[in-house]
Amino acid sequence: MNATRIDRGSTDTTAVYSDGGDLVFERTFDAPREQVWKALTDPEIVPRWWGPHGTTTTVAEMDVRPGGKWRYISRAADRDDVVFYGEYLEIDPPSGYKWTFMFDVEGVGPMGGPETFTLEDVSGKTKVTSIGHMGSPEAIDGALATGMVGGAIETWDRLAAVLAKG
Amino acid sequence: MDMDTDPLSTTFAALADPTRRAILARLAQGEATVTELAAPFDMSLPGISKHLKVLQRAGLIEQGRQAQWRPCRLAPEPLRDVAGWVEQYRRHWEESFERLSDYLRDLQDRQEQEKGDDDERDPN
Repeated sequence: MNATRIDRGSTDTTAVYSDGGDLVFERTFDAPREQVWKALTDPEIVPRWWGPHGTTTTVAEMDVRPGGKWRYISRAADRDDVVFYGEYLEIDPPSGYKWTFMFDVEGVGPMGGPETFTLEDVSGKTKVTSIGHMGSPEAIDGALATGMVGGAIETWDRLAAVLAKG
Repeated sequence: MDMDTDPLSTTFAALADPTRRAILARLAQGEATVTELAAPFDMSLPGISKHLKVLQRAGLIEQGRQAQWRPCRLAPEPLRDVAGWVEQYRRHWEESFERLSDYLRDLQDRQEQEKGDDDERDPN
């Protein structure tokens, strides 16, 4: 285990940790690598799984090749549509790809950055690692390690409760 | 991104210091004067003031107007932006992976089902 890794709330199924300026998720899926690759890169399949619970995703643009653009529209009952967008930087089927993952937040502007996905074959299963390159270690530490925010990993509600005590 | 214009970067830069995070943690429990904030640290009042100025510029704290006391208190908005950003990102991938897993499981089940059907089919 790398000493610079800090656990950020791993669950039974998913390892979540930060490493310098990267926020990393690791999960092993019980499916062959080609299938996982297809699920990640096929515009017909992406809407079936992409986005948090309670959201539906429409693929507006998805040009899976270096320099190709992608744009997903995420819809939820309790908020306005959010557009996620970016550009494919590197493609290496079925081992992985790198793209930029951006979204606009009102009053703050565009957020996000490059993300790398790697798919590894592990005895017929597939280990997927997604690495969000958030920039500086300060970005991760500031956001996640601020004691009072409880790691910023907690939900909005819990954050609000802590702040309300102030 | 430009440090001077991007509010999130300003917030991150302000948070990237253990003394300043400790000050915020203290203020999360209620407002405090500069002297009170300085007490736990082996630091001069001007030293603490410098940290407070950084936090203030990032909009993370507000200082009262009364000349005598000027108590500091937490301003939660920038922290909400930071936490919201990371939380949104985290939730996005954690739950997407969950749904991807469900999808792949369905796919496996269906394929096994079809394979079973094929095996049962009469070759004629």
